[in-house]
Amino acid sequence: MSALGGKAAGGDSINPVGTVVGLVIILVSIGITAVLGSSLVIPLIGIIVGGALIAFGVHFVPVGGAPAAMGQAPGIATGVAMLAAGAGLAGLFGGAWAFETTGDFLISIIGGAVGGGLMMAITCLMVNATYVFAMGIPAASGKIAKDPITGDTFPEYKSQGTEGHGLPFISFVGGVIGGLIAGLGGTIIYIELLDAYSTGLATLMQAKPEAIAPLAISLAGIFAIGFFLVNAVLAAYNITGTIEGPHDPKFKRVPRAIIGCAVASAFCGLISLLLVTNIGM
Amino acid sequence: MEEIVLGIGITALAGALATVAGAAEDTESDIGSQGDPNSQVQLAPQMGYIHRIFNKAVSGEPPAYGLWCAIGAGVAWAFLQLNYNPALAIILGSIVAVFVQGIYCTSGYLGRTASLAKFKQPVYIDILKSLTSVTMAHAFVAIFCTTAVCYLMSAALHHPFALPLLGLIWGIALGAAGSASGNPFYGKERQYQNQKFGAGVPISASGNIVRYAEAGQRSSLDNGWFTTKFAGPASGICFGLIVFLELWRTVLFEKALAGWGAVIAGIVLILVFTFIDRWIEVWGRKTYGPYTEPEETSS
Repeated sequence: MSALGGKAAGGDSINPVGTVVGLVIILVSIGITAVLGSSLVIPLIGIIVGGALIAFGVHFVPVGGAPAAMGQAPGIATGVAMLAAGAGLAGLFGGAWAFETTGDFLISIIGGAVGGGLMMAITCLMVNATYVFAMGIPAASGKIAKDPITGDTFPEYKSQGTEGHGLPFISFVGGVIGGLIAGLGGTIIYIELLDAYSTGLATLMQAKPEAIAPLAISLAGIFAIGFFLVNAVLAAYNITGTIEGPHDPKFKRVPRAIIGCAVASAFCGLISLLLVTNIGM
Repeated sequence: MEEIVLGIGITALAGALATVAGAAEDTESDIGSQGDPNSQVQLAPQMGYIHRIFNKAVSGEPPAYGLWCAIGAGVAWAFLQLNYNPALAIILGSIVAVFVQGIYCTSGYLGRTASLAKFKQPVYIDILKSLTSVTMAHAFVAIFCTTAVCYLMSAALHHPFALPLLGLIWGIALGAAGSASGNPFYGKERQYQNQKFGAGVPISASGNIVRYAEAGQRSSLDNGWFTTKFAGPASGICFGLIVFLELWRTVLFEKALAGWGAVIAGIVLILVFTFIDRWIEVWGRKTYGPYTEPEETSS
């Protein structure tokens, strides 16, 4: 593989043994949670779904890393985990706020998704503004000849010796979709954790739910950020370097990341929920 | 109504502070050479190009700024609990955070540059002494403004998250916005001014960064002077828009349509930005046209 990421080479298929082991870890995590407190199973499943959504969303985000910073590859000039976490956390901020004011699950998770999508839309726009107005370079993809949405052709616009530059429209749309999905996943995790902590901590501490609300919100927020970073970093290992968006050949690796992140979320979710299980200590 | 007017005023103030934070963050990371283009600064001596550019890269900008803003907001929160004046608490928090940043800068420069000793890259003590304080000053502005934004969100707009948590979230978002908008300008337009304008940098030119200024050797102070003109404001606008619009759509529309107002406003904003992006893309293609070989253009 080249220093710029290049073509996805090998390891794209799903490892059946690893998948079975992962499924066993998920089932064991759910089983242990069910034994410790049956009401915690739904939050754990929410965390697993949220983690898988974050992994899925990260693959849409066009990331170019250092090569993008020099106009050697298309994408946003930062790392996968950083950008996805930034977008997802902006969504989490909006989702948590919407849940505080409305208390409605659906509005909150969609509000979180829109927050992530908005952050990515602004960021992607400024990337193109920098390339076009400050560096005088039009957007061109090195992975495909034609933009699947607009029909623009790229090879004649690509500078010699580079793998493309800028942010083609398909990558912009991919970035927004990635922000939407990552924000959605993160907000689901936050609300499920908040639900578990609000009731669990009130029972454990024998206090009113209103009294422990600040503690529950802070804990749920910290763990939601932790889940973001766990899933974004795992997905970044799957991407290895750069990805242009949904049209990139590396996007085909997404099922592997979803399985990996679901397993990691299940185990981390079990750990985070142990906080509110009365295990006789 | 009065509450909404107050909310919009706070939103505008937060947006303005975020714009200053974004501009300072990008200038700090360009002077300190942190973020993705730093790989070229690290690579240059290995390719035989000895330079006087600050070589920090303690980590990516988003997690680094997440840490610094979380420290700033955390210490400020502690002082607020002791009933300190909010402005004083935020200043004290930012001072503590910026000392952490200064330690990171120093160890980052010494460690990274020392690792290049076998390629004859010296550690310039004057660079360390003169530039560390400059990056600390810019970092202070960025951390102070971000912590102030977080304080406004927490105290005036009543966001449920605690101040340190908001610091972590918006610190990471600040770094992400700054590295997305500012890094390409510093990486390509500044470090590779020896390359043809209006084209990407060929992979074969990696490491051949520009090392000389108008008079003598270039240092990272020259980089700050250059990138403040475009990359700083661009990053500021990016982060300012994110903070302003995220707050604006919530403050103004959260109660409309049973909570769906903020969602619809967000979707409309995304569509507007999508339209502007497409316009910029088409404008760039039409104005600059297809790539031409350097030989043809120089004749």
